[in-house]
Amino acid sequence: MGQIVVGYDGSACGDAALDRALDLAGELGDQVTVVFGYAPPGLWGGEIAEHEEAIEELGEMVMAKARSQAAGRGIEIDAQLVAKRAAEALIEVAGQRDARMIVVGSFGDPPLKGIILGSTPNKLLHMSERPVLVVPASS
Amino acid sequence: MESSAIPASDSASGNRPGVEDKGLKKNAIGFVSSVVIGVASTAPGYSLAATLGFVAAAVALQSPAILIISFIPMFLVAGGYYYLNKADPDCGTSFSWVTKAMGPQLGWIAGWTIVVADIIVMANLAQIAGLYSYELFGLTSLAESTVAVTALGVVWIALMTSIVVIGIELSARTQVGLLAAEIVTLALFAIVALVKVYSGSAPSASIDPSLSWFNPFSLSPAEISAGMLLAVFIYWGWDTTATINEETENSTEAPGRATVVSTVILLGIYLIVAVAAQSYAGVDDLIANQEDVLSSLGTEVFGEPLDKILIIAVLTSAAASTQTTILPTARTTLSMARSQAMPKSLGKVHPRFLTPHISTILMGVLSIVWYVGLTIASEDILFDSLAALGLMIAFYIGLTGFACTIYYRRELFNSVKTFFFVGVGPSFGGAILFYLLVKNAIELSDPANSESGNSWLGMGPPLVIAIFFLILGFLLMFVQWRKFPAFFGRKPEVVPAGFLEGKAPAPGPTGAGPEELP
Repeated sequence: MGQIVVGYDGSACGDAALDRALDLAGELGDQVTVVFGYAPPGLWGGEIAEHEEAIEELGEMVMAKARSQAAGRGIEIDAQLVAKRAAEALIEVAGQRDARMIVVGSFGDPPLKGIILGSTPNKLLHMSERPVLVVPASS
Repeated sequence: MESSAIPASDSASGNRPGVEDKGLKKNAIGFVSSVVIGVASTAPGYSLAATLGFVAAAVALQSPAILIISFIPMFLVAGGYYYLNKADPDCGTSFSWVTKAMGPQLGWIAGWTIVVADIIVMANLAQIAGLYSYELFGLTSLAESTVAVTALGVVWIALMTSIVVIGIELSARTQVGLLAAEIVTLALFAIVALVKVYSGSAPSASIDPSLSWFNPFSLSPAEISAGMLLAVFIYWGWDTTATINEETENSTEAPGRATVVSTVILLGIYLIVAVAAQSYAGVDDLIANQEDVLSSLGTEVFGEPLDKILIIAVLTSAAASTQTTILPTARTTLSMARSQAMPKSLGKVHPRFLTPHISTILMGVLSIVWYVGLTIASEDILFDSLAALGLMIAFYIGLTGFACTIYYRRELFNSVKTFFFVGVGPSFGGAILFYLLVKNAIELSDPANSESGNSWLGMGPPLVIAIFFLILGFLLMFVQWRKFPAFFGRKPEVVPAGFLEGKAPAPGPTGAGPEELP
């Protein structure tokens, strides 16, 4: 049984990615692993544990949402919270599962904004050794 | 297949056992970043520009001595921050420490004071950032227009708020860039000024630096308290460093060291620039240009077009400080919200940026409302509110000093070292700050001593503003108290005896926020 790893953050583009991943899993008979990377934006923010707890709670909520979205289509998913930035988290889990591909949503940000903010799909395309499927949010 | 929260591997973020374990936080802030953020939040460039002239007017040539004396209370309380952080590294704010040591009511007021002080100072920083942006490009007519300066000031707040929301790498890059520009320009100024003094090419008013400038014993008590009232607050900002905690195995020392290093760096910058400015221009020139010592000196020392350099120093200083003011304040409100001491939504984080976006944006919006509102209503009140800042800073930092002694009361007599550094030091620093608070309040009670000279209720407006915010704080506290009584029913805690020697565990389970207590 193959594995599909999908990045999910509860946003509209995350929904689009998860939807497409569930479609593909149905067609291919694959299992779906949903990943939320929650590395706290520490570094300069001097983040406190409460901040991290808040992020972890958010992660649990996001995962619950992903599960219910999948359950609505009768598919059981494996949910993973990883304390890393989104791109690294996805690559790591995909490696462990020997995933067929990584699916992420795209915000459709203009390129410059992506450069400034550091877009996850962009990073993935350069860093991943596995195929990456980028799903536009509008799809 | 239903497993959640399994760590992917032993990663750079540490071998987290999973999200159930709330206590461990690895991969936190590095030593250098701590120092950078501490120095940047203090805004040394701007602090010097706005303060040096007034200090010179109060104590003439003894400014360096005043800078050293003013450093002492802040340094002593900084030691208290270090120890408080050691016992309670999870909640890095005065709010939580004062809550634990002295009860939730005082803790709430301490947190509230931080928020109010930060909102008020944001107006000042934004104004400086706006003004100096125009001056940098020689747009004198715009610099003189209140509307143009306010508009650009608002743009600066909005820009810095969005950077903090987007957070992560961008904040880091911005902060490093701004601070580097600030320090380099200040250092250049000091070097060029001193070289000119010693080579004899400085103006006739210049004086060779003398060791006697550093001698605190040549000052009368009245001069000391007058000078300290001005100079103690230019060290405000280092507490941001102390709020940063690192939970790698050997890091109980790192945040403390970063605090010490950044306060010492600040002292160094202040002393070097003060000595350079004073010896180049003489005291009279500093007093004549009180409102902004550095701009006028920049023109004299560097000449055209390099005189812009010091404008850059002040501008980057104000801009960087705008950012490092929103940052910790949003963290304080986040912390308060998660303890149910403030509305819950303030404790939320953004799904994509993972920053406390609601807290941050609210801080930005309140700052803009305060800044624009007062600029329209009355600029006098804006200036008077800045005069009230000293009262608030002295209050919450002093209170934190006392909190250290109280929180550690069972540990004080372990050794001479703990007695002085954990017990006497922070409280003595706090007492000096409270003395200055009272002294300042008495001074501000005389309407003649305010910027506007107005009299409200027979008192100077700054004192009235401070009292108003204190009362408002109590009212809001009672509102929250009625809604969420759990937090306000918390009992004060104490560090168990033996904690500092490692014989007793840290008070409460690590990571136990107030919300986890009955």
